Amino acid sequence: MPSLVAFPGLAALQGLTGAAPPTGLASAATSPELASAANLALYSSMAVFTITMLLYAAYLAALGPDPSLRRAGEPARELVGAGAGASGTSGSPNPSDAATTGATSELAGASAGSGAGAVVGSGAGAAAGAAGGPSMRARKLAGSAFAMTCLATVLLVASVALRGLSVMRAPWGNMFEFATAGAAAAAVAYCLLARRNRWDWLGLFVVGPILLTLGTSLLAFYTEAAELMPALKSVWLVIHVIVAILAVGLFVIAFSVGILYLIKAHREADANTRPNFLETLPSAASLERTAYGLNMVGFILWTFTLVAGAIWAQKAWGAYWTWDPKEVWTFVVWVVYAAYMHARATAGWEPRKAMWIALAGFGTVIINFAVVNVFFVGQHSYSGL
Amino acid sequence: MSGPNPTPPAPSPGSSPGTQPGGRSGTQPGEIRQPRLGPLGWARWSWRTLTSMRTALFLLLLLSVAAVPGSIFPQRSIDAGRVADYLADSPTTGAWLDRLGFFDVYTSVWFSAIYLLLVVSLVGCIIPRSRLHWHALRSRPPRAPAHLERLQAHTSIPYAGSSAAALASARDILRRKRFRVHSHDEGWVSAESGLLRETGNLLFHVALCIVIVGVAVGHLWGWRGDVIVPEGQTFTSTFRSYHTFSGGPLVDSLDVPPFGLRIDRFDVRFEEVVGGAQFGAPRGFTAYTTTTDAPGEAGAQQVLSVNEPLTLGGADVFLLGNGYAPVVTVRDATGSVLYRQATPFLAQDNFYTSVGAIKVPAASPTMLGFSGFFLPTVDPSFANGPVSQFPALKNPELALSVWEGNLFPGGRSQSVYTLNTTELTQVPKADGQPLLIRLAPGQTYELPGGRGSITFDSVSRFAGLSVRHDPGKGITLVAALLTIAGLVASLLVRRRRIFVRASADPANPSTTLVTVGALSKTADPGLEAALQALAQQIADLSTGAAPAARSQRT
Ligand code: HEM
Repeated sequence: MPSLVAFPGLAALQGLTGAAPPTGLASAATSPELASAANLALYSSMAVFTITMLLYAAYLAALGPDPSLRRAGEPARELVGAGAGASGTSGSPNPSDAATTGATSELAGASAGSGAGAVVGSGAGAAAGAAGGPSMRARKLAGSAFAMTCLATVLLVASVALRGLSVMRAPWGNMFEFATAGAAAAAVAYCLLARRNRWDWLGLFVVGPILLTLGTSLLAFYTEAAELMPALKSVWLVIHVIVAILAVGLFVIAFSVGILYLIKAHREADANTRPNFLETLPSAASLERTAYGLNMVGFILWTFTLVAGAIWAQKAWGAYWTWDPKEVWTFVVWVVYAAYMHARATAGWEPRKAMWIALAGFGTVIINFAVVNVFFVGQHSYSGL
Repeated sequence: MSGPNPTPPAPSPGSSPGTQPGGRSGTQPGEIRQPRLGPLGWARWSWRTLTSMRTALFLLLLLSVAAVPGSIFPQRSIDAGRVADYLADSPTTGAWLDRLGFFDVYTSVWFSAIYLLLVVSLVGCIIPRSRLHWHALRSRPPRAPAHLERLQAHTSIPYAGSSAAALASARDILRRKRFRVHSHDEGWVSAESGLLRETGNLLFHVALCIVIVGVAVGHLWGWRGDVIVPEGQTFTSTFRSYHTFSGGPLVDSLDVPPFGLRIDRFDVRFEEVVGGAQFGAPRGFTAYTTTTDAPGEAGAQQVLSVNEPLTLGGADVFLLGNGYAPVVTVRDATGSVLYRQATPFLAQDNFYTSVGAIKVPAASPTMLGFSGFFLPTVDPSFANGPVSQFPALKNPELALSVWEGNLFPGGRSQSVYTLNTTELTQVPKADGQPLLIRLAPGQTYELPGGRGSITFDSVSRFAGLSVRHDPGKGITLVAALLTIAGLVASLLVRRRRIFVRASADPANPSTTLVTVGALSKTADPGLEAALQALAQQIADLSTGAAPAARSQRT
């Protein structure tokens, strides 16, 4: 046999290659009944999310431009938050602003298990902040919007779980499933954090992207429930992808907060804007800190995603890094967010400029998902399309 | 400025240029005489610019942009075939792109330059920061400022007991909270926590460097060999026995371990139920093998599958390819066997339309060659040409054209999957039309003109194995895990300083007044609450503490 053989087929074959787990018992039956129940739950969840979105929009409208909130009042509130404490309000140890800015430490505490988050917890009773707080009507709207969000989230999580049961595997084996699970992760994160951090104002900006994601994934990425291709049959699918989903969920929320921050910062810089509902959002500085906290935890999870992906690639493809398009973009996402962290830590760099880098980072997340999976040729052929 | 300042607070600013975040080099003290910089001055200026945070930031952004083309254009290191296709399709742009390195992005000069600069910047930034941090770790928490009231957060609380007792409690509580504690003067306690933050940050950056070291080790001493092994055959690993072998510049071909591997059985399963794009998708591949670590050793039964590589003689064996190897027999006119072999055909699409060649140099008077398709599930009408309808063996067929002449022009080695037809002529049918032989398993075709016969005996499968050795991967793995650990510490640990003063209460000299002040290096919304909790704890420890000593603020 000639010794110098071109080996053209191998690269082309890699996408096809796979192997069952050693037991050979891979032929788990898929259950169409469970799969259609999963779809039903998904549609119901989207319906409820739509109502939720309207409620949150109504809530923001009800907040309206509050005449008691002159622009000059902002810095005063900031000072109260950072300095001497809310001497005017009841004995609450947490000045109203600290509760919002607490998002950072809240997240940090939650993921590090350091318990640092405990110091920020402010009761819902403290909701009526120094500035008089939202009207009764607005509060009612926020309450029902939150309840509906929880309902929609339960439905969405049920849909993901049913999908998993219908195929007896982790329900994130193709783009449709990944998008749905990512939306569920963002929804769960919001439900868990919203009350403590008083994120009613954020509701619209979380539920909106979630609905958009679900709609897109149904229209563009829908894939029948089916068994996985062999290269995906690995515990690393569970580890690597679940962390990626969590990271993306955080990036989504951080993206919304980041945009709000830029708008708010723009308004604060401009003295004669007409007051509107944005007035009632937290200050630009605290929005910036919230976005940073979310992005930071997202970045840590993304680093883990990258490393776990490399470990999996080593097992599945024989090399931990081959500059496959998906690897390239995972790396690009990571580097852009690292640049954001640097920009924010660099004295003399405006936080606003840093935030633009974070938004660009989110752009790369979207490309990594929606463009790379579909249009680029690589070994990550799991889109299911 | 809400962005945290990475320089530890104790050393005077500017004492280490490399750690000056955003300190625009060249505007640093002593560097303002820029117009008259000598060579040394320029060198120093370049070094400081290179190691500034701004440059690191710029290089990071540049790196992210530079990585992108490698995902858009085909890369030689991944799929040389697609690069060749691209060059054939658009020769002019292709040639330019090639010259600029767009088909080898990750080894191109510009990409390498960016990441090497980044590494230099990284090292130049780590060294001075490590020095500073080392001093910070060994120095005591600093003396308190005279006026605690001016700190970020502060509070006073009465203490029922002596001031010495108050400070002792404070020390106790702070130690338990893992603060480093020191009293510079009587009546004061200074405490500091969160040096782990900087430790973690340094660990993160150092570990990044080690990741690169691991990658380099793998590049220099690592190797990979690819080989196709049909079912029932044994592969014995030597440097020469691989179909393709590539190794780093420091690889000795004798490093390749001499293991043996026999594919006893190769099970394959495809999606038959679900329609759409999933129809025919691969579902399971399992190779049952007998392996030996070295010649002459007893064989072991092992299962090889994707995600489940084998380790043999220090090298990892991966199942990365698969396909069909029709067993074909060619006889001469007298019926004696000239060729009998399982001949691998390479799949071209998801349904395993496969191409291959059968070379019979022993034929006379001239050599014979067959080339064409193997179709695991054929549409007999060939309505869409010779393409397979399904990847499994539902209705296999071999479709071949026949050539004669010189199979090996120039004696050069060539692909085993195609015929080099420059010195071959196609054998026609009796009526002069090109001959196409279509065989199902078990069928035989008598070649025209007494050239003998060809029999399609059966189909076996082959496994495409990739054998890899990467001595750097352990280093890279450990470093990558350290990166995560460092990052978590760097981003989640909070750096705080707390100062406690205990003195006689000026309003009521018989009691002690404890004043606590705190400051943090980073945005730290929990600081105020932590301070209040600490003051309360100190007060609660006072002998016979009033049940609810309310905090007062000055
Ligand atoms: C491979 C490239 C690099 C990556 C991926 C990277 C990543 C990071 C990350 C994620 C942080 C945490 C940011 C934070 O604490 O908010 C950080 C901090 C830091 N990096 Fe880098 N870095 C790189 C190169 C460099 C270089 C070349 C320098 C030197 C100029 C540098 C200097 C610093 C400093 C001083 C901090 C501390 C910021 C702080 O504590 O707030 N980094 N880096």
